[in-house]
Amino acid sequence: MEILSFNLFISALRLATPIALVALGETYSERAGVINVGVEGMALAGALTTAVVAYFTGWPWLALIAAIGVGALLGALHAVWSVYLRADHVVSGAAINLLVLGFALFLTRVIWGWRGTSPSAPTMNAWILVGVGLFLIGLSQVYIFRTPWGLRLRVVGEHPRAADTAGINVYRTRLAYTVLNGALCGLAGAFLFNNLGRFTDGMVGGRGFIGIAAMVVGNYRPLPALAAAYLFGFVDALQMRLQDYIPSQFSLMLPYFLTVIVLAGFLGKAQVPKALGKPYVKEQG
Amino acid sequence: MPAEAVRMEGIVKRFPGVVANAGIDFSLHWGEVHGLLGENGAGKTVLMSILYGLYQPNQGRIFFRGKETKIRSPHVAIQLGIGMVHQHFMLVPRLTVLENMAVGWEPRIGPLLDRRAMRRRIESLISDYGLEVDPDARVEELSVGEQQRVEILKALYRGAEVLILDEPTAVLVEQEVEALFSTVRALKEQGKAVVFITHKLHEALEICDRITVLRRGKNVGTLPASEATEERLAEMMVGREVVFTVTPEPVSSQGQVLLSVEGLQARDDRGVPAVRGVSFEVYDHEILGIAGVQGNGQKELVEAIAGLRQPTGGRVRVGERELTGQSPSKLAAQGLVHIPEDRHLRGLILTFSVEENAVLGRHRQPRFAVGPWAQRRRAIRIYAQELVERFSVSVPSLSAPVRTLSGGNQQRLILARELSRDPQVIVAVQPTRGLDVGGMEFVWEQFLEARRNGAGILLVSMDLDEVMMLADRIAVMYQGEIVAVVRRGEATKRELGLLMLRGKGAVD
Ligand SMILES: Nc1ncnc2c1ncn2[C@@H]1O[C@H](COP(=O)(O)OP(=O)(O)OP(=O)(O)O)[C@@H](O)[C@H]1O
Ligand SMILES: [Mg+2]
Repeated sequence: MEILSFNLFISALRLATPIALVALGETYSERAGVINVGVEGMALAGALTTAVVAYFTGWPWLALIAAIGVGALLGALHAVWSVYLRADHVVSGAAINLLVLGFALFLTRVIWGWRGTSPSAPTMNAWILVGVGLFLIGLSQVYIFRTPWGLRLRVVGEHPRAADTAGINVYRTRLAYTVLNGALCGLAGAFLFNNLGRFTDGMVGGRGFIGIAAMVVGNYRPLPALAAAYLFGFVDALQMRLQDYIPSQFSLMLPYFLTVIVLAGFLGKAQVPKALGKPYVKEQG
Repeated sequence: MPAEAVRMEGIVKRFPGVVANAGIDFSLHWGEVHGLLGENGAGKTVLMSILYGLYQPNQGRIFFRGKETKIRSPHVAIQLGIGMVHQHFMLVPRLTVLENMAVGWEPRIGPLLDRRAMRRRIESLISDYGLEVDPDARVEELSVGEQQRVEILKALYRGAEVLILDEPTAVLVEQEVEALFSTVRALKEQGKAVVFITHKLHEALEICDRITVLRRGKNVGTLPASEATEERLAEMMVGREVVFTVTPEPVSSQGQVLLSVEGLQARDDRGVPAVRGVSFEVYDHEILGIAGVQGNGQKELVEAIAGLRQPTGGRVRVGERELTGQSPSKLAAQGLVHIPEDRHLRGLILTFSVEENAVLGRHRQPRFAVGPWAQRRRAIRIYAQELVERFSVSVPSLSAPVRTLSGGNQQRLILARELSRDPQVIVAVQPTRGLDVGGMEFVWEQFLEARRNGAGILLVSMDLDEVMMLADRIAVMYQGEIVAVVRRGEATKRELGLLMLRGKGAVD
């Protein structure tokens, strides 16, 4: 069997999509100054919501909208904790990951009784979501760097006080983009379900974190982040084919291994927003 | 009777532990440049921050264009036509000049930012006020002087009719000050009102129409600049007579080399060689001044000596010991102290308290710490109290974050901490920046006393008058090299100025 076939490049695109969506979401929230490591949980919540709604109603479109809505709600929760209550961003995000995972374990057992997997449920064509993802990424590249709102977003993450004096509401901006991040994670989760046709509680499997890595490698820009996500997707696709040749324990490790290597190379070079992770306190008095 | 732009009545502003403004009346006319003077901590910045909406007064009223106005936020102030350029700039280093100016007031075509229209607006402002700057340059690539121009342009673009400049000349070199003055004059001719905060009395006399002096949160008087003299202003500020110069008494050096620098080389942040083989010695009982226009390698030279930048060649010796590229704490152990140029980046931790900052760098000594884990809070507090009193740093309380100190008081705290270590060698950059006349006099005396006690001092300053007054020898730095070394009184100010501007070629 030929390893480097045309099919490989196509399936890489599919595997890259959830990573790219998370990377896009994280690009928005970190540009606004909010670190969100809850992407893993938010994507899982999206997948779970899609599975449950599709299973009970049989309407994959309704399931998609619900997934985006649940992701957005979790984003709002994270924003309330980290922006308004000034909790540590990483702690808040990690709490969301645990919360969603626990809830997913509970819910799947209550509904389906199986050990963490759902029976198959109606899906939509995952390629539609690949298309939506690519469109959003292209649009975001223009939005962030060419529009007034994109400019405001960048200033909020770099110098919130300067944004404030320019009449920009720092808190509301951060809330909005964290919600958007959650919605995009929900979309990524919906893709994962539609791609596989069933739900398992390990189905995100680190893709959220890899999405953050792709954002770093892409230096907080949507299109380069897409390229990085594609690289990760490609290695993932390649590893599936290599399983015929090398032990799967090794090949499965490949994408994660690559993440560590690439991150080590890029982490110091990325232009991290200056106010990232720092609560904004209005001048008192 | 000229029309009043702003009137502030009975402004009171209290912070925990201090009354920053204790009932101030202040008035500003259209078409005037109004100087605001006062000692460090007198309340100048706070008063103007209230006008700019950053702080709300506890009492008092503000009238703008004759109408009582509540200024709830800087955004409201900007919409009214009030702009302020702070002591520390509010620019995003990574964005371009154009983006920094546009944010919040973006011209659009459809959903996009209209860069063409924005560029046209900037260019017309540039030509109206002589504020030369490239709209597409990233702010981080600009010199401090250029960044200041961007701040002024930004305020004007946002429609400022009243412009507040907080110590604008503290960061400028002489030629830039001239350019700023002509911009200020152009603003005045347009009928705008300018508030000009400064510690340099001759500047206030030159550029201002009226001058208001604050002392301890009160207005001690407003007078036309034509009726003011430096002596009179200084006396109003401090409440006593002030001397503007000190005279170093002759002391004889023992000829002992305390700091020796040999063929030192260093690169700047972009990797370009900035110090190209500099050699000199500082002897005991001596002040060696380094004069030069900003950006000729002084910053890198000092950082390379002080252990903050790895030299790419050459040697640094403190006393007998070779200490090239060693850490600041090793250097401090040999009796070298560094008074840095950027007090926020290198000198202080803004969110830490006064007492913590007072022992910074010595926080591990047995006197202040028990082993690596525990601090001796009482010892630290007593020591900090002593420093603050001896150097008259005015602080809200010892546990207040340093961020809440006035600019000049932050500088005093650094000086207090470093000079009280009984240093052998002092490396000081712009030590009197942002200090009031009394504070300057105090620092100069401290330096002369250290010299009397045998210390060697390397004094880097853009202020030629300061260098000429204090230094026993002056080295002129030009494009990373030392182009001349003269003894006190051997060169005139004009000759030194020429050397600074043109290097060796100047004296032919
Ligand atoms: N945010 C704050 N919280 C507490 N105290 C403050 C705050 N801002 C200023 N102060 C205090 O108010 C007083 C006046 O400060 P201000 O900054 O107006 O002085 P200034 O006249 O501008 O002095 P300088 O010439 O040193 O800049 C100082 O004692 C300062 O410590
Ligand atoms: Mg001030």
